[in-house]
Amino acid sequence: MKKSSIILIVIIAIAIAMILVIYTDSSTYSTFSEAKEKKTELYVVGVLNKEKDLHYDPVKDANHFSFYMYDNDGTECKVVFNGSKPQDIERSEQIVLTGKMEGDTFHATKILMKCPSKYNKDEMEVKEATSASI
Amino acid sequence: MDINYVGEHLLPGKIGQFFVILSFGAALLSFISYFFATKKPDEKSWKMMGRIGFILNAISVVTIGSLLFYMIYNHMFEYYYVWSHSDTSLPTHYIISSFWEGQEGSFWLWMFWQVIISTVLLFTAKTWESPVMTFVMLCQTFLASMLIGVEVFGSRIGSSPFILLRDAMDAPIFKDPNYLSMIDGKGLNALLQNYWMVIHPPTLFLGFASMIVPFAYAAAGLWTRRFKEWTVKGLPWALFAVMILGAGIIMGSFWAYEALNFGGFWAWDPVENVSIIPWFTLIAAVHVILAYKYSGHGYFTATLLSLVSFVLVIYASYLTRSGILGETSVHSFTSLGMSGQLIIFNLVFLGIMIGLMVWRRKELPTTQKEEEIYSREFWLFIGALVLTVACVQMIATTSIPVFNALFDTKVAPPIDPIAHYNKWQGAFAVVILLLTAIAQFLKYKRTDGKKFWASTIASLIVSLALAAGAIYLTKTYTNVMYILIMFTGIFCIVSNVRILGDAIKGKWKLTGSAVSHIGFGFLVIGALVAAATNEVISVNQSGYIGVKNFGKEGDKFTDPGENLFLTEGEPVQMGEYRITYTGDSISAPNVFYHIKYEKIDEESGKVKESFTLSPFAQNNPDMGGLIGTPDTRHYITHDIYTLITAAAADSQAPLTKIKEEDKTGFEEYDEPATYQVNIGDTLRYRNGVFVIEGVNKQAKLENIPLQPTDVIVGLKIKVIAADQKEYKTEPIFLLKDGNAYDFNKDVTEQGLKFRFTNIIPDKDKLEIMVYQKPLPEKKWIVFKAIKFPYINFFWAGTIIMTIGFIMAIVRRIKEGKSKVQIED
Repeated sequence: MKKSSIILIVIIAIAIAMILVIYTDSSTYSTFSEAKEKKTELYVVGVLNKEKDLHYDPVKDANHFSFYMYDNDGTECKVVFNGSKPQDIERSEQIVLTGKMEGDTFHATKILMKCPSKYNKDEMEVKEATSASI
Repeated sequence: MDINYVGEHLLPGKIGQFFVILSFGAALLSFISYFFATKKPDEKSWKMMGRIGFILNAISVVTIGSLLFYMIYNHMFEYYYVWSHSDTSLPTHYIISSFWEGQEGSFWLWMFWQVIISTVLLFTAKTWESPVMTFVMLCQTFLASMLIGVEVFGSRIGSSPFILLRDAMDAPIFKDPNYLSMIDGKGLNALLQNYWMVIHPPTLFLGFASMIVPFAYAAAGLWTRRFKEWTVKGLPWALFAVMILGAGIIMGSFWAYEALNFGGFWAWDPVENVSIIPWFTLIAAVHVILAYKYSGHGYFTATLLSLVSFVLVIYASYLTRSGILGETSVHSFTSLGMSGQLIIFNLVFLGIMIGLMVWRRKELPTTQKEEEIYSREFWLFIGALVLTVACVQMIATTSIPVFNALFDTKVAPPIDPIAHYNKWQGAFAVVILLLTAIAQFLKYKRTDGKKFWASTIASLIVSLALAAGAIYLTKTYTNVMYILIMFTGIFCIVSNVRILGDAIKGKWKLTGSAVSHIGFGFLVIGALVAAATNEVISVNQSGYIGVKNFGKEGDKFTDPGENLFLTEGEPVQMGEYRITYTGDSISAPNVFYHIKYEKIDEESGKVKESFTLSPFAQNNPDMGGLIGTPDTRHYITHDIYTLITAAAADSQAPLTKIKEEDKTGFEEYDEPATYQVNIGDTLRYRNGVFVIEGVNKQAKLENIPLQPTDVIVGLKIKVIAADQKEYKTEPIFLLKDGNAYDFNKDVTEQGLKFRFTNIIPDKDKLEIMVYQKPLPEKKWIVFKAIKFPYINFFWAGTIIMTIGFIMAIVRRIKEGKSKVQIED
């Protein structure tokens, strides 16, 4: 067997192993109740509770923004975002949060919003906000 | 129900639509003719027809572009494309950007570059013309089909840029024949109104478009059994594509850094990944082509990589244009309902690749010789494979949404994509850099082991010493991966500088390769240091309450925030800088916020260095609120990057509306204070003091004639503000015909108004009334500042790499012409 063939096989093996590892690195879209159980960082998809106040007071703390969100099961939860308030969150139709549960509040590190396009009913815009923590 | 609309220009659209169809038909004709010209080379008329088809296609493409420009330039909002991507206030130089904001425009751009490339091919390909142009024109046919916008069998094919607004949308406004006079375009996305956006997309698309050429040559080589020759012709094109695509990608990165607000130059966004994947595979292809050329090894790999690179370009196009990336990417286009068409485009080229490789599998040139470990081709081969595996990693993660769609799963991408990609690609970078260094000391076929080790070890020792210094200087010793990348990067540079030294002495052939590898080394080091050690300097220490969760897992939530709150005129110490928000200025539609940075010498208290950064933001409710654009201070060793994340929404409260005749001149003031004073008294007000200096008995009033019996007295007042500025004023008291009048005076700069209301002789006092304006609510901003160290290496590395590519292209073209293959 030629050296190149052996190397090729080794490389293919590495590639397959790598893809398997990538999928263990990947995450799932879940709900607040799952987030409570798991206590790890994950995605939660849901909608903003527009009835309740969005709290952001930059004069007091420019890095604290909180709001209430319903997840896909309809569970409501308070969300705290360590950063400035993402523009346009009021208009969002869907929110994808990245973060984890801490007690009864969900601490988001990233907020991805889908907002209806102002001009086109069929179009959606996707926006993203990332929190302070590195 | 026919409405005669007013002011519409329907002619350009009709002409445009004609040329859209013509461009498709001509490309198809050209493709078919070139196909038969290859099959039956004796029938000269096929080739002639192929050329005619191409020329017709070229004319159509140029006409479509000119018409589109004409329509945007003249604000013909009756066309959907013009309405969607421009407005009347758009500066002329950005018209060119609105060209490629939409998918139709970017497809046009791709077609346009293919026309230019084909023209070059027509003159240079010679005997290769027919087979190569077959593939190029097949691609052109697919691209042209993306613009057709005609319904066939119930499904729409492509999306035409010449569709009328009233056909594209259904809105009540179109019942009005005069609707055109009432609308303005949606305008160009504020983020695209940047001069880098004028140059980045054309460069990137030229890169993508030129990748068809190595594909076409490789496929033509297999098809016409000219297995060996295609590499000679294809190599300069492959180098050209790699150079342009690389430059285009980094321009995009520079645009993101200068104009976008995600605070960095690379975010591993799917859109970025899919453009870098074909770049990697084509770089791998270039190296294996070289290995094959000099040793005869690796023909299969060289051909496969050249072919797959273009297939991946189409795949990239599918991912970004079909809307499938959805929630994983912020930048991708929304769907235009063309994903089916894009999938067919992709599958056809994938099919050609697999089909040709399988068809000719037994005839592919191979060599029975065993590869030498001490040979350059062996390590070039390994390097190419490592690059390919790096691509597999990126494709696997980026394609998660595709797999979800295919297998109906719901896998989410990694929580922290940047860390995920950095982990993998960092490791690959180490291996690649190491190979780039050592392969340069090896020779094709057989290398003298002793010589090799001598030069390698010498470079290794120099690199170790340099790397230690660099790691200390850039503070990258916190992570093993950083140390490894830094070391291998420097090793790569040192080895290639050595080669460059030899090249100058006479072995000039390796100059291009040495220079581009040096550039690559710098690029990786610059990216590493800037990404690994950038620090947010706007850390909000004052608002930090670190008690909650202290020491617990997940402590990052209580980290001090990165956004800093600044009130106008109040300096804040931020790291080594004292920063002051000095105010804002408006240049519609943007508001510039001026932030003054001062470096203060601790001993003398003097300002050592001072500069003002003016990041701006567009408060554009249509585009989703405040869109910040950073401003950056560039130094040789680092950059200071500043971005506004929030600002006082309305810095000036609207005045209460009072009718003009009811105005007394006192509405804006607080309740007055009345004082009885003597000459020489000093009194306080909100922002300083004022002194009663004296009485002026010679005061005069214009317009009022005075009798000798009248008493007129001015009161001299000196206002000394907190900043030691002095203002003089003189309110006047008048006794005329037994009535008392007073004439107030303002000190507008201080928001003061004085009235001299009475003279009380029995008390020997003067009565004054002082009005003060309420203090305006101070303007504030919330901003973020990041320091990017050594980012200039990243940009400089790119430039050096591009220069290296140019040198390599020149060499390979010369070689191809003389057909003399000189052994290295």
